[in-house]
Amino acid sequence: MVENAIIALGALFEPMRLAALFAGMLVGIVFGMLPGLGGVAAVSILLPFVYTMDNYSGLAMLLGAVSVVYTSDTITSVLIGAPGSPASAPTAIEGHALAKEGKAATALGVGFLASMVGGLTGALILFVAIPVAGPLVLLLGTPELFMFALVGLFYASSMLGKNLAKGLAAACLGLLLGVVGPAQAAADFRFTFGQVYLLDGFSLTIVALGLFGVAEVIAMLASGGGIAQERVKVTHWAAGFAEFWRARFLVLRSAVIGVFGGFVPAVGASASTWVAYGHAMRSSRDRSRFGKGEVRGVAAAEGANNATVISDLVPTLLFSVPGGPAAAIFLGALFSFGYYPGPRMITQNPDLMFVIVWSVALTSVVGAAICFAVTPAIARLTRIPFAIIATPLVLVMVIGAYQSTSTMGDIFMLFALGGLGWLMKHAGWPRAPALVGFVLAGPMEQYFWLSNQLFGWSWLARPGVLIIGSVILIPLAIHGARWVRAARSKPQASVSEHATAGGAAPVDADDGARANLILSILVTVAFSYALLEMMSFNPSSRLMPGLAIFPGLALSVLLLARALPQYRAGQLPATEAVVLAVLVAYAGFVWAIGFSIPTIALIAWMLLARAKMRWWIAAIYGAAVFAVSHVLFGTLRGDVPVGALVPIG
Amino acid sequence: MGKIILAAAFAAMMSGPALAEVSFEGKTIDVIVPFGPGGATFVSAKFLEPYFEKHLPGNPEINVIDRPGGGSILGANWFEQNAKPDGTTILFTTSSTANPFVLGQEGVDYRLADYRIAYSHPFSAVAYVAPSTGVTKASEIKDASAPLVYGGIAAAASDLPGLLSFEVLDLDVKPVLGFNGRGPVRLAFEQGSVNLDYQFTPVYLTQVLPSIEAGDVVPLWTGGSIDENGKLTARDPIAPDLPSVFEVYEEINGQAPSGIEWDAFQSIASVTYAYGLTGYMHPDTPQEVLDAFAAAVDAINADPEFQAESQKVTNGARLNAGPATEEAIKAALSPSPEVREYLRNLLSEKYGVNF
Repeated sequence: MVENAIIALGALFEPMRLAALFAGMLVGIVFGMLPGLGGVAAVSILLPFVYTMDNYSGLAMLLGAVSVVYTSDTITSVLIGAPGSPASAPTAIEGHALAKEGKAATALGVGFLASMVGGLTGALILFVAIPVAGPLVLLLGTPELFMFALVGLFYASSMLGKNLAKGLAAACLGLLLGVVGPAQAAADFRFTFGQVYLLDGFSLTIVALGLFGVAEVIAMLASGGGIAQERVKVTHWAAGFAEFWRARFLVLRSAVIGVFGGFVPAVGASASTWVAYGHAMRSSRDRSRFGKGEVRGVAAAEGANNATVISDLVPTLLFSVPGGPAAAIFLGALFSFGYYPGPRMITQNPDLMFVIVWSVALTSVVGAAICFAVTPAIARLTRIPFAIIATPLVLVMVIGAYQSTSTMGDIFMLFALGGLGWLMKHAGWPRAPALVGFVLAGPMEQYFWLSNQLFGWSWLARPGVLIIGSVILIPLAIHGARWVRAARSKPQASVSEHATAGGAAPVDADDGARANLILSILVTVAFSYALLEMMSFNPSSRLMPGLAIFPGLALSVLLLARALPQYRAGQLPATEAVVLAVLVAYAGFVWAIGFSIPTIALIAWMLLARAKMRWWIAAIYGAAVFAVSHVLFGTLRGDVPVGALVPIG
Repeated sequence: MGKIILAAAFAAMMSGPALAEVSFEGKTIDVIVPFGPGGATFVSAKFLEPYFEKHLPGNPEINVIDRPGGGSILGANWFEQNAKPDGTTILFTTSSTANPFVLGQEGVDYRLADYRIAYSHPFSAVAYVAPSTGVTKASEIKDASAPLVYGGIAAAASDLPGLLSFEVLDLDVKPVLGFNGRGPVRLAFEQGSVNLDYQFTPVYLTQVLPSIEAGDVVPLWTGGSIDENGKLTARDPIAPDLPSVFEVYEEINGQAPSGIEWDAFQSIASVTYAYGLTGYMHPDTPQEVLDAFAAAVDAINADPEFQAESQKVTNGARLNAGPATEEAIKAALSPSPEVREYLRNLLSEKYGVNF
């Protein structure tokens, strides 16, 4: 085995292959930083090149891209607050809060180091676990997968935020978004409004981009300032190293959580990050900083998501069951090179397995180093007026969204969900729970249905289910016991706690009472309508929507009742509303007359009206942005959207 | 005799320049795959790409483009609106696109039965059971000692021919639908929670075959392949030792299958298995272009490199093209009203599909 490892390392160190690996890694770094263009887009853009190379070079290139994305998207999550994927949501919450305090360097330093450790742990486990992981993955039947999704949901409750009603309502809204499209249980298509576009449900990229990215970009376009009140300085990494060293065991534990998450197809990738984040919160003595900029949250999330993306390859290589879309493309590339993952793969192609291990290990280290190197330059960008940076970001998001189906629906949906995310942001509804609900709705319903079909209710007694269930029950029991003890010793304490929980609403109601009212009305209407349509589904397709709609409707009515008396006129930021309206209008014009003219107009508006650039600088910069976006469209999709009314590009 | 030779020479002269007219020199052919880039259809399109580039007149550049969404309906609808009638746009897809068309589902804008058929590749599937069912060969399937549990994705999609084969054979099978791919079904089979499964060629060759050799899996039958009369009775070359569904029925019942169940199975199974991966072209594509593709297909089938590669991946399956292939596919895409009605009733009553 060691012999194979050395042979593989020698094979990888051929100049062409090393070049391919690093080229893939650079693409991965760039695409990881661009919101909405994560691993899938990086891998898709590399595919044509991959097919022209020899097998090891091609696969090294893909692995270089896949395994660095979660390292470099830390930059975007921290500096802009838009997570590249659900697995980076905790990083965006904590890291962005730190950046606003001027501690971007600390957050990024910890994030990169944790990413590196996570990646190396993943590679190490891949090395030792591949021969023995097969039986472990086989132990995970659908009931265990359901339980794992439940664990993810439980730990994701750490992201609910202070206002419990708003957090839960947001989670229900996410669940509702997640059940749009084909039902897992029966052949119902839910909430598709007769639109073919919705037959597959919402795309994860567009939901993540819409809820977080668009709202942040709107704020950037509306304001002139940077993220931090002061200049974002990321030259002093010392604090980051110190914080990382303090959290080193947490990072290691998170990496192990991430590795196990990777073994679980479909739910593992995001859920393990949330479990690690929840674990960070539970294992910290002082929890007051969580949600407001806690570096341990960044450490845990980044340690976990990098380990996950690598151990995701275990089910891919052993059973041809990819853990995520990027792994699916990697699987396709393996097929094309004549490798057929399966039980025989380890014995038949041991060298290949080690090429994979070395590729991801090498990328983890070098990728983190490059991220350290480029960050000061990128952080300098945050001193430029934000509208100037937002201009290319808007187009990158449009391009990223357009990767899903290459129809106008992608762009409309991006800005529709962007409007929702923007309202949520101002109404004080946390967006992370919505993303969690969206991600887990599908797998939870699917695995619950399959488990009951295959085993009846007897699956509840399976040993794996009980073991995974204990991960939820033991912390709950400990928490409960503590609470009882505390309640006995100080009976008033719990009363006052309740009082603050109840009194929390008026505090954040000052900010965005109008947004809160509009959102409460919208969500109440949406849940009511969903309830009505749900009645026409097959009974087995009603469970998951029911789980979203009944509590969601109750909560939204409650929030509406709270929002009405607090309503005061004129509190929505008017400039931001204008920006949103312009973006929606832009989508409409792209549909009508194609990509080019509305995009040029939008760029001009953003640069001249928002960024107040001098016209000739704006002309040069705008032309460059337009040209690059056109090239990106071309390389990724082959064409830009063509108008429906005036058929031009 | 002299006249005949003269006529032949004349015909050759006439057809010679006509054939030469079709050249894709300097052109790009877009092959639209309405699924994601990791899927079997995309991989197959990439597999065929270099052979078409080599053997089509003028050596065009072939561009495989994925347009996923709507369970392949979005990509096919895009093709309906954007395909060029000169053979430079091809829709390369599976029964996942054909079934919604045959069943008349909502949202289908594409007129699949009107399209010209450039080429087609089989996408065979093999049924197998777990030894715990007590079944040792196909004809014993009705005497299984354990309840048969079949894992699938969705009744109206690629599982349809499998489910119809159970109808033809009149089997008591509990279908568990809702898996998100055949890979997870295979995993559930290995875990023992599903004991009857169908897998398509590459997975069969690389994952199921080793298990058969180890004695963990009992192979049953294939969907069959098209015989010289255009019927789905012949054995599939991917697994020549295994009977076709047609043969299994004959062995169990002592007579050839007939009736609406068989007609429905034959129609759906043809476009799923025998013509599983098909390249469609715009309805107005000139016959010369189709002839050029048929000639290229003959050349590809004769290419030793293709033969060696396809031996590895599909056990040596060959491409089909030409009028007979086109006729068979078009017939399968336009079943009789009775078959259509039967399918819609079966799907809505037994599987709760709303139309």
